[in-house]
Amino acid sequence: MNDKILLSVNGLSKHFGGLAAVQNVSFSIRQGEIVSLIGPNGAGKTTVFNLLSGVFSPSAGTINLDGEDITGKRPFEVCQKGVGRTFQIMQPFPQMTVLENIITSSLFGRVPKISLSQAEEEAVELCKLVGLGDKQNTFPRNLTTPGQKRIEIARALAVKPKLLLLDEVMSGLTPTETIEAIKLVRSLRDKGTTVFLIEHVMKVVMGISDRVIVVHHGEKIAEGTCAEVANDPKVIKAYLGEHAEDTKESMC
Amino acid sequence: MVDWASLLQSLANGILIAGLYAAVTLGLTLVLGVMGIVNFAHGELIMLGAYSSFWLFTLLGIDPLLSLALSGVLLFFIGTGIYRFTIWPIMKDPPLNQLLLTLGLSIFFQNLAMILWKTDSRTIITSYSGMSLDLGIIHFGLTRMITFLISVVLTVLLVVFLSKTKPGRAMQAVSENNTASWLIGINVEKTYLLAFGVAAALAGAAGALVSTVMYTFPMVGFKLSLKAFCILVIGGLGNIPGTLFGSLILGITESFVGTYIPEGSGWAEGISFVLLIVILIIKPTGLAGTRRE
Amino acid sequence: MNRLISGKSFIVLIVLAVVLIFFYPRVMDSYFLHLTIAIFLAMILASSWDILARTGQVSVGQAGLFGIGAYASALLYQWIHLPPVLGILAGGILAVILAVGIGYLTLRLRGIYFSITTIAFAEALAVIWLMIPDITGGAMGVSTPPLFGGNRILAYYLILAILALVIMTVWLIEKSRLNFAFTAIRQNEDVANVMGINPTRYKVLAFMISAFFTGLAGGFYSHYNTYIIPYEVFGLNVSIACLVMPIFGGLYTILGPVIGTILVKVIEEFLRVTVPYGHQIAYGLILVVVVLFMPDGLIGLWKKRIKPLFLKKSSVG
Repeated sequence: MNDKILLSVNGLSKHFGGLAAVQNVSFSIRQGEIVSLIGPNGAGKTTVFNLLSGVFSPSAGTINLDGEDITGKRPFEVCQKGVGRTFQIMQPFPQMTVLENIITSSLFGRVPKISLSQAEEEAVELCKLVGLGDKQNTFPRNLTTPGQKRIEIARALAVKPKLLLLDEVMSGLTPTETIEAIKLVRSLRDKGTTVFLIEHVMKVVMGISDRVIVVHHGEKIAEGTCAEVANDPKVIKAYLGEHAEDTKESMC
Repeated sequence: MVDWASLLQSLANGILIAGLYAAVTLGLTLVLGVMGIVNFAHGELIMLGAYSSFWLFTLLGIDPLLSLALSGVLLFFIGTGIYRFTIWPIMKDPPLNQLLLTLGLSIFFQNLAMILWKTDSRTIITSYSGMSLDLGIIHFGLTRMITFLISVVLTVLLVVFLSKTKPGRAMQAVSENNTASWLIGINVEKTYLLAFGVAAALAGAAGALVSTVMYTFPMVGFKLSLKAFCILVIGGLGNIPGTLFGSLILGITESFVGTYIPEGSGWAEGISFVLLIVILIIKPTGLAGTRRE
Repeated sequence: MNRLISGKSFIVLIVLAVVLIFFYPRVMDSYFLHLTIAIFLAMILASSWDILARTGQVSVGQAGLFGIGAYASALLYQWIHLPPVLGILAGGILAVILAVGIGYLTLRLRGIYFSITTIAFAEALAVIWLMIPDITGGAMGVSTPPLFGGNRILAYYLILAILALVIMTVWLIEKSRLNFAFTAIRQNEDVANVMGINPTRYKVLAFMISAFFTGLAGGFYSHYNTYIIPYEVFGLNVSIACLVMPIFGGLYTILGPVIGTILVKVIEEFLRVTVPYGHQIAYGLILVVVVLFMPDGLIGLWKKRIKPLFLKKSSVG
């Protein structure tokens, strides 16, 4: 890990009508870090991701990626600047094969553009990397939930992202699959990708994160190492105020 | 010098026709708001309403303003039948399919009308067709005045239905969020059926009104649906206040163009497209209300 | 999405080309040649519509582009005696310009805006045409000089060439990155966007390609028919035919629009004789039946239902 700041978010807010989904959130992520974004349900985690990837444009605040202001850029522009993301609800293109899903991402998310044959080569590699090597010609509907999550990850990786946004890719996985997924995320980081993830499974969060950011009601309430965050009274209160089952898990 | 009498007269005519346009568009708005479908066959339901009113008048001598209710009931049943047998099976398909299906129904009914009733333009002449009301400097055709008032009544009835009755409230809930409605015990499919039926009934009633002030011919519904689409976009797709506002804008603009531009009545037919483009340039989310996401 | 054209299809293509170029026009009598030209024209319209449909957009106003193409070449001949073949090209280019305008206004919004605007666009052109008869010829229409002095065989070659160009364009699209962009946008525009695809740009591009060929077809029609009237070339019937034929045959395929056109034309010819008014009812019925019962059109029906029957039999035997 080095000290270069890859992503810096300043005073980010998003209002829907009168409702503030995200309120004055600021944080930064260094290159090569693995950072988790956690918080009770409805805290605004996915909204933060939607703002970072350009799906929503912020009501206020700025987003800076690798020294470049990407605030208000449209999703395809943000993608081409080097942000890859997965969706919480998996959305593979249903009428494309697994491989074609990934090729699409390689073809359009990369700057400079690569040729069709090169995109195909890379997509085949990515299929293997995420463990879909033998499934590349099947259609997404024939895959299980974890299988479809692998497509999501491969598509996000296909753009060769500087910053990878993973939205709950590990929920619903078996313990073995989770361990594999953690390994994958670590290996990606070792290759230089910065990872920012939303996760509910606290074991995962504590296991791989360099740092954790906690949001509640759209505001950042804590930030720090796992131990720091877990002992933060504000965090404990936020989780206790919500669901008991979340609490049990969150306390490491 | 501004000719105030002609200006007022033109404004009044515009408002009267806007009432009819609102009646024509309300059903379209309801189906779009509740079901998320732009029903391309809505105009043809209006056309069927107009023909049913025409034949009830011609064959049985029933006044169109009375047969309005009959047209409404008839179209309610036709509408629910259309929903049950053609739209219900594809509600979960991509929106593209619903668009193409209603377009197919539209073409089907247009041509069915041509086969059954030829392309003749038909008119209803009642005992009061030629009468007019004089209010000082401006005057109204009696029929137009009555159609306007009935349109207002229809709008009020729809608003009361949506806000005061249980099925109406269910429609509002479904239009907000159909998953959540299902969770709180609303039968979404039944609500869709009813919404489509009510929209068709509105089309039937609007058709009866149309038959009194316009020609009835197989393409009348198509011509009106183009205006209704324009109104829909001005109003921001799928809300009632927007629809009323859009109707006023279109009605008054058409009326002014008809009065003040040479050969304006011919150009007036193209006004809906011009307005549509203007809205898309300046504020595609509609001038009134907010866009549904 | 296989890479290269297979040997078998290459041979079929060569044979087809030879037949269509050398034998067909000599063997066929004038009536059948005329019918063939009408069908090829319709195939161009169907395939052009399908190109746009690949991005998930439904144009209900191809008649606007067709009519602009038809009138552009007709009026350019009247005003400056532009040769018909150049006039046809001008028609295509003008249609593209209009498509860019409408496209940039509507294709950044949800698909329904595009459909509504296109249907209104064709009608608005008809109104304009009726209202400025001094320029457009009005409701009475305009006459045009016949193509190649009325030589039907040369006209046949021209329409065959345009059709070949359309099919080749579709084929090239299928083999290129455009296919990935178009398909991704159709299946989930928001996800495509996050994956680096600019949806508006590719939708407008597809509409431009579609408009170009539709405009060419209009230009050809005006000179081939030697007479055009606004109600016909801007009519709803044209717009509907453009979409029913490819939907019936099977969308997003090369062969679908071709097969759909042949069948629709045959049905239409039959009904034209038997039903004096409203024979277009078939278009409505086909649309409803296809959406309800055969979502992938005839091609899909063949692949899913009929082909397996043969395969089963052969495997048993």
